[in-house]
Amino acid sequence: MNMKTLATVIVFSTLGIALSAQAHDPKEHMKDAEKPDCAAMKNMDHSKMDMNDPVMQAMMKQCMNDTHNNDSEKDQAQADHQDNEKSSGEQHSEHQH
Amino acid sequence: MSALTTFIKSLVITAVFALVGGGLFLYSGLYPMGADVPHNRLTYWLLETLRERSVARAASDIKVPGDLNAPERLLAGGADYNDMCAGCHLKPGKTESDFTLGLYPAPPNLTLAGDEHGHEHTGDTENDDEAIKRQFWIIKHGIKASGMPAWGPGHDDERIWNMVAFLKRLPELSPDQYQILTARGQDSEGHGH
Repeated sequence: MNMKTLATVIVFSTLGIALSAQAHDPKEHMKDAEKPDCAAMKNMDHSKMDMNDPVMQAMMKQCMNDTHNNDSEKDQAQADHQDNEKSSGEQHSEHQH
Repeated sequence: MSALTTFIKSLVITAVFALVGGGLFLYSGLYPMGADVPHNRLTYWLLETLRERSVARAASDIKVPGDLNAPERLLAGGADYNDMCAGCHLKPGKTESDFTLGLYPAPPNLTLAGDEHGHEHTGDTENDDEAIKRQFWIIKHGIKASGMPAWGPGHDDERIWNMVAFLKRLPELSPDQYQILTARGQDSEGHGH
């Protein structure tokens, strides 16, 4: 009985510690995460941009990631569209037989 | 000998009066405690000196990482700053918030350079280094009775250094640059966490 109580206390306190450790995980902030407005970079004064500046490098990195993600989304959407067309085509040909 | 005895007696009597007077004032409840009434100059100076000396002593042994200028640190620190600090310490294009209006002492506007928000530490490498250590220590340990929490218990040192790296560049950022650097976007996993 005592061992059971002890085990329950240990399980609950471990769970509590684990949950509190995740409280400030960056994933927690992802619910209302804003996307970078990379279009604003086009309006910036390019003559003042220094490619060796860490701020500039960080913005490029952020926008490269964003573009990459957008491209992946587009590719995925295109692939899904092609799959749909293909499957509807197959269904169509099945109906003809 | 009698002069020395008189001097000691006077000293003891003065100390007793000061202690009793201080105690009476303390328990009288006369000191205004509301955040909307500023401290008098003496109290402000005492508290500020106590804070600055304490932080400077405690932060003196901190080792500053050599890669504070890494773009990855700016991205990781920027996102955290926006989520955890911008409400009180503002972002480019904002000059006040409910917190800056209501907190006392008012949180420093970190979008301004050090000399503009009350800490002269720019343009001198040694002072810059001290300012960086000071920022790290304050983020990690917080400041008693000021509204500044200790982020150390929930955040490791690397994550706090990322915020310090971002703070270093924050006064130079435009609102657009700030938005791009602080947006978590879709891949905050790649921001060094």
